[in-house]
Amino acid sequence: MHTWSFSRRTTPPNATTPRRRALSVLATTAVTALALTACSAPTTTPSGPEFFDWSDVQVAADGQTVKLWMWGGDDQGNAYVDDVLAPAAAAQGVTLERVPIADTKDALNRVFTELQAGRNDDGAVDLVWINGDNFRTGKQADAWFCDWTGLLPNMSLVSDSDPLLTEDFGTPVDGCEAPWHKAQFSFVYNSATVENPPTTIDGILDWAEANPGRFTYPAAPDFTGSAFLRSVLYSESGGYENVPSTYSDEAFDELTPALLDRLEALAPSLWREGSTYPATSEQLTKLFADGEIDMMMTYGPATLTALVENGTLPDTTRVLTVDDGTLGNASFFGIPSNSGNIAGAMVVANEALSVEQQVAKADPAVWGQFTVLDLDALSAADRELFDALPQSPVVPSFDILSRNASPELSAEWVPAIDEAWRTRIAAGQ
Amino acid sequence: MTGVSAAEPRAPASTAAAAEAGGAAPRALRNRRRWLRPTLLVLPAVIPVAFVVIGGVGTTLLQSLGLMPLVGAAELSTAAFDDTDELLTSALLSLSIAVVSTAIAAVVGFFTAVLIISGNVGGRIVGALGAAAVTVPHLVGAATVGLLLSDSGVLARIFGVSPEAWPALVAGPTWFAVIAEYAWKESAFVALIIVGTLATRITSYDETAAVLGAHRSARLRLVLFPLAAPSLLVASAIAFAYTLGSYEVAWMLGQTYPEPLSVMALRLFNSASLTARPEAAAIGVITVALTAAVIAVAMLGLRRMRAWR
Repeated sequence: MHTWSFSRRTTPPNATTPRRRALSVLATTAVTALALTACSAPTTTPSGPEFFDWSDVQVAADGQTVKLWMWGGDDQGNAYVDDVLAPAAAAQGVTLERVPIADTKDALNRVFTELQAGRNDDGAVDLVWINGDNFRTGKQADAWFCDWTGLLPNMSLVSDSDPLLTEDFGTPVDGCEAPWHKAQFSFVYNSATVENPPTTIDGILDWAEANPGRFTYPAAPDFTGSAFLRSVLYSESGGYENVPSTYSDEAFDELTPALLDRLEALAPSLWREGSTYPATSEQLTKLFADGEIDMMMTYGPATLTALVENGTLPDTTRVLTVDDGTLGNASFFGIPSNSGNIAGAMVVANEALSVEQQVAKADPAVWGQFTVLDLDALSAADRELFDALPQSPVVPSFDILSRNASPELSAEWVPAIDEAWRTRIAAGQ
Repeated sequence: MTGVSAAEPRAPASTAAAAEAGGAAPRALRNRRRWLRPTLLVLPAVIPVAFVVIGGVGTTLLQSLGLMPLVGAAELSTAAFDDTDELLTSALLSLSIAVVSTAIAAVVGFFTAVLIISGNVGGRIVGALGAAAVTVPHLVGAATVGLLLSDSGVLARIFGVSPEAWPALVAGPTWFAVIAEYAWKESAFVALIIVGTLATRITSYDETAAVLGAHRSARLRLVLFPLAAPSLLVASAIAFAYTLGSYEVAWMLGQTYPEPLSVMALRLFNSASLTARPEAAAIGVITVALTAAVIAVAMLGLRRMRAWR
């Protein structure tokens, strides 16, 4: 394209005919576009404002409006942010606006596009609910404001040695995101139809083969489907200890054949004989709700209590605790480097880490998300607040659910496994 | 675009002529004014279109050729177009879905239009339903069709068929639900476009033919169809372009694999790996090229039509 345009530009100007003229207009456009793109790839790390201490941040934050981009598919999460977190932020002088999105990648793409277009200090995104590969991709592209979490007073309530909070899917957090809550990958079954639930991940696959058509999982790269693939990879490899968390081609070539063989063998026993898969975890939940399958999975067990209560899921819905443990992760708040309300975003992230907010959010009636605070380090009175939370009849407490929890693989593993699954299992029907 | 480029070169030439031979000035000026007015009038339409087409498609092309990376240095490369096997499968799937659903929409749309034109009560009801269908967003349409046709959907429940026994209409190998959604929505669109053209011209022609003794089928074949053909072709071309380019219906109601071009482009664009963006852009370029080819054929066909001339 661009060599062609340059050669056209050398045409003598007096040879202008309408057609030539059109070509030269096109050529000029192409050259301009090239010139614009030349300055789009950031050469230096974009840095945000500098703050000396927390009061500095508070002064700068006063009156700012923070747009929080988050997945809008969880009614309880939306209600928590609107009714609990936003008023608390308002009390600090910060207006919190929730921007619902269909996928966290939409927020990331928006930031990337703005940075590509040179919009470096008044971006549309101030705060993102994020983790895993999205965080890593943003870090690679220098899209995050970094080294800010150390300033948050409430970070003192968080353990600085908790591996779930210092690394996000193997990517060092480096102060580029503040923890928000923890999640535990969970298998869910209908106790009315599954009489003797399996107790291991391998047992779940055996159960699926013994009960054809009653089990399936979302197609990667759906977040939940992708987590299921990693769970089976751990199980087939004899535990997470045998899977190096850092990606390497050798480890991939050595470990994934067993995973793919197992899933290929499993496919004919799945819903629709594995000829297709639900595209999202919501579609999986719908199959479970409609009684088409007897077992499903979720990375957000917090939503189950309300789904059972409002009748979407049967009363007999139970979370399966597997002996070999399931994946656990934490989700975070990230601030894009081109946000114009960085101080306000920091105030919101700090407020979200307060004991009051974390207790409110952990209540199954509000949202039921597991806290990131270090309970052992809290004062007796604060601990009491967490101990007094009502128990959900569906979801076990975090210490039971996270027993033998396995860490997430580094984010590089995720697209590699997803793609292997897609080209072999999804394509192999 | 052609309006601007055709107009501009003439202007300097005629002013130069005017400077040399003073007497010709008023005519040259008038000549220039004659070009200026239509140019100015067309600019509000041309500028946004050019902005989107040159800016959008140009950016996509640059990204697909590796000249607009998110990280690293720009380097000209066609690597994003390399996975030909999968691209070919996806392109054929996309084309099949678009061709089948557009063909159904054209046939259904034409007969719906004829029914609406007939002016009786049934026609008016169909007209109102058609107008209502056009206002439904495709995303909502897809969700509705999904609820209606899925294994444990409304229809399966009404007929009391168990999910296992219900045919795989949603996410099945035939892409039935996807084609049904596009055919339904686009047939309403095609019908309304045809009604718009026919409503003003049809009565006199149709009555003349009837007076001359033409039967219903003959009037349909010799009067209605030729009059409706140009708008049928244009509406079908628009429906085809839309169907080929949109992703949400195929994503919601389609199979996991293979993917239509649009779904694949979106998956790659949203992929966590930074290198996938050029591949997504490459699929965008291929989709644009396919659409442009079909639109070009439709425009050629349009020029040959008697009613259009």
